[in-house]
Amino acid sequence: MSEHSLDTLWLEERKRIDLIKQPLRGIAGVVLAFAVFMGLWWVFMDPRGWLRWYTPQYGYMYIRWLLIVAIWQAYIFNFWPFKRKWMEESHPLKKGIVLTFINFAITGLLIWGFYYYFFGKLAIPYFSWPELQKTGLSDFFSREYSSLAILMMAAIASWLSPIWPAAFENYPWHGLKQPAKGITVFCVTFLLTTYIFFICMHPHYRVLFYPWQEFTAAFPWWYDSFRTLSGNFNVGWIMCATVAVWLSEMTLEQYPFRLIKNQPWRGIGGFVFILLLALIFFFLFVFMQDVVWGVSVEGAKRLMAPDWRYLHAGELAILVLGVAMILFFYFDNWPRKFSTEVNILIRVAIIIVGTIVFHWLYYKVSPALLGTQAGYSHPQQFPMAPIILLINVLLYHNWFMDGWPGKRIKVEGSK
Amino acid sequence: MEEQNISRRSFVKGMALGTVVGYFASAGLSSTVFKKALLPKEKLEQVDIGEIKSLKLKVISETSWYDNNVFLNDVKGAGGLLVNQYTIPWTTEMVKSGYKGSNLGGFSTLIEAEFMDGTKKKFLLDSGWSSDWMEKRYKDEGVDEMLAKKQIEFLVQSHEHMDHFFGIQAVLKYNQNIPIYVPKGFYQEGFDLLKGKAFPEAKVKNDYPHKGTITVLDSSKVNVLYPGIALMTFDVPIILRVFGEQAFVFNVKDKGIVLVTGCCHMGIISYMEAVRKKVKGGEKIYAVQGGLHISPFEDWDPQYDDLILAFNKYGVQKIGANHCTGYITAEKMIKAGLPMVRGTARYMTKRDIYLGNGDELLIA
Repeated sequence: MSEHSLDTLWLEERKRIDLIKQPLRGIAGVVLAFAVFMGLWWVFMDPRGWLRWYTPQYGYMYIRWLLIVAIWQAYIFNFWPFKRKWMEESHPLKKGIVLTFINFAITGLLIWGFYYYFFGKLAIPYFSWPELQKTGLSDFFSREYSSLAILMMAAIASWLSPIWPAAFENYPWHGLKQPAKGITVFCVTFLLTTYIFFICMHPHYRVLFYPWQEFTAAFPWWYDSFRTLSGNFNVGWIMCATVAVWLSEMTLEQYPFRLIKNQPWRGIGGFVFILLLALIFFFLFVFMQDVVWGVSVEGAKRLMAPDWRYLHAGELAILVLGVAMILFFYFDNWPRKFSTEVNILIRVAIIIVGTIVFHWLYYKVSPALLGTQAGYSHPQQFPMAPIILLINVLLYHNWFMDGWPGKRIKVEGSK
Repeated sequence: MEEQNISRRSFVKGMALGTVVGYFASAGLSSTVFKKALLPKEKLEQVDIGEIKSLKLKVISETSWYDNNVFLNDVKGAGGLLVNQYTIPWTTEMVKSGYKGSNLGGFSTLIEAEFMDGTKKKFLLDSGWSSDWMEKRYKDEGVDEMLAKKQIEFLVQSHEHMDHFFGIQAVLKYNQNIPIYVPKGFYQEGFDLLKGKAFPEAKVKNDYPHKGTITVLDSSKVNVLYPGIALMTFDVPIILRVFGEQAFVFNVKDKGIVLVTGCCHMGIISYMEAVRKKVKGGEKIYAVQGGLHISPFEDWDPQYDDLILAFNKYGVQKIGANHCTGYITAEKMIKAGLPMVRGTARYMTKRDIYLGNGDELLIA
């Protein structure tokens, strides 16, 4: 953290010692995280597995909210109500189990308590599985539609929740103590998420139900320019924005907006930079698809559908994030020995190559490993779901468990 | 992170540089110059498939299942839309609106083409789901006799979905030697079912092992079967762990191209675009018949409205849709002014807003 920092995050303050040397530590970390991911996927998601929640929207919704709740726990609430002493001295395994349990519990409470039986019941039925069912919709689609709405909210939250601590360093509430600071930032980001949802996603629901709900939602404002009524257009660029937040935080080390000395200008600069980076990703990925598969056709399905292309731009961005996170968490964000600019250039090159390999590997092995269908464009299959679950596992491992057994917290006085 | 001091001038310079780089990385990349250089050129490799004189399409069954909620509960109970269809315990009892209490129906279309010299040939598209129901419908329409007398040239399996394929026993009972065309992507379970294997979990069996030829068609070319008649295959992943679908292309003299589909999971717009690029005369699509796979579960997605809004631009003159097109879609299409052919709502088809069981579409 810079001396001008307005906030101190446990994740940035903690000092860790390496228990295993590189590259073995990195490789072992990736293997371990992947094994845990496969276990979770089999238990909760795999269409051949135990609970089979990847129906797909129902399980996908949980995966997305687990990510947001992890961000709340680590970035916004800074692990409150746990004390620093507990965070430093508890065994990583114990911390991992406790914090992951809290992560799961809050996610369940949020979906069932807040969305299904509060917000969906009293305000907007499409957020509630039981309320949609009461309208006469089938049980299956009541659950799928409500899951889609809830996960769309999560997509926006994944962009906005980390941006306040990351770019604004919680300004102007940096002076508050926890939980006041956490609650304030949580309320602000959740409010912004809700506003953006109503602008970017609510029009999707005007068209989703038959007849069109023209008295309750605006016509999709993006239709004339982007040739689809589907909210997938917004999901695509917003996922690119989520990825841009993390890339700017990890790969780019907040360069160049960290050069701005004072808040809120640093935050505003960061926000604008992240948005520009997101739009560059989005249009670049859409254009790449046009080059590979030809320009999309209005009204077409699958590979040729404009809305799928936008969604897939977000999916490609998530692949990039997966690789960037592995480099950051398991290979110490290599390299770090050159100037910032050179470090960044080398990392970007590694991430590009890594993404190409990851992309090839994902589509090659996912039918056998994940029980999904072969092919790029499937109407009920979203590569973002498994990749975000993998990212969740990376966060649990590195945020909640300090990267153990590869690393461990260095307690003052210890060797 | 290391703190760096920077002057206002350098910062503004940096921002200007970033903007220029950003422009070339985003807007610049998709500008006309880049598009011209990088985007693939449209290739028109149109195959002349010949012509037929007339075409008669008889809907044997378009009712895949009778109670949508029962069907969706089966899917939900099994774990959703990605579960292998051969492992789902489909409901075959106690369904009030079902056929003999079973929720299973099926899709099958009888096709009769008249060639330019006046001779006629018959083909069957898909074999339905419940062999009880399909046998009844085949008997109602005389298909059982046509099969037994070998008057039906071949069976085309549009794809492997249960409602199009699991009733295969009802076809093979009358002709075990009928040649069958399947799309590339058929799973081993599908070939095993043809050979007589049972799948008790999914309540499907075939007591009449197939003894004829099986031809697997891929998407590399337009497969011309007879003058004026072709099949096109699409490599599409489909729900319930199915892959690949094929559909008919007919060229009817003085009318134009007629597309006949099973479910059209590749999307009707994608199908019409592929025909436009690969089949001579494909710019003029006269009619479309069969399942268009838009709202098969009476569900909806804004993408489906994209399709309806775009459909009008293709100038299709007859739409004999049914089955997985969905009633909501049919209503929306009629409202959008699309030329939907209405049916008669008989033999378990619930509404007359599209072609139903026993209805015919004649292109002549």
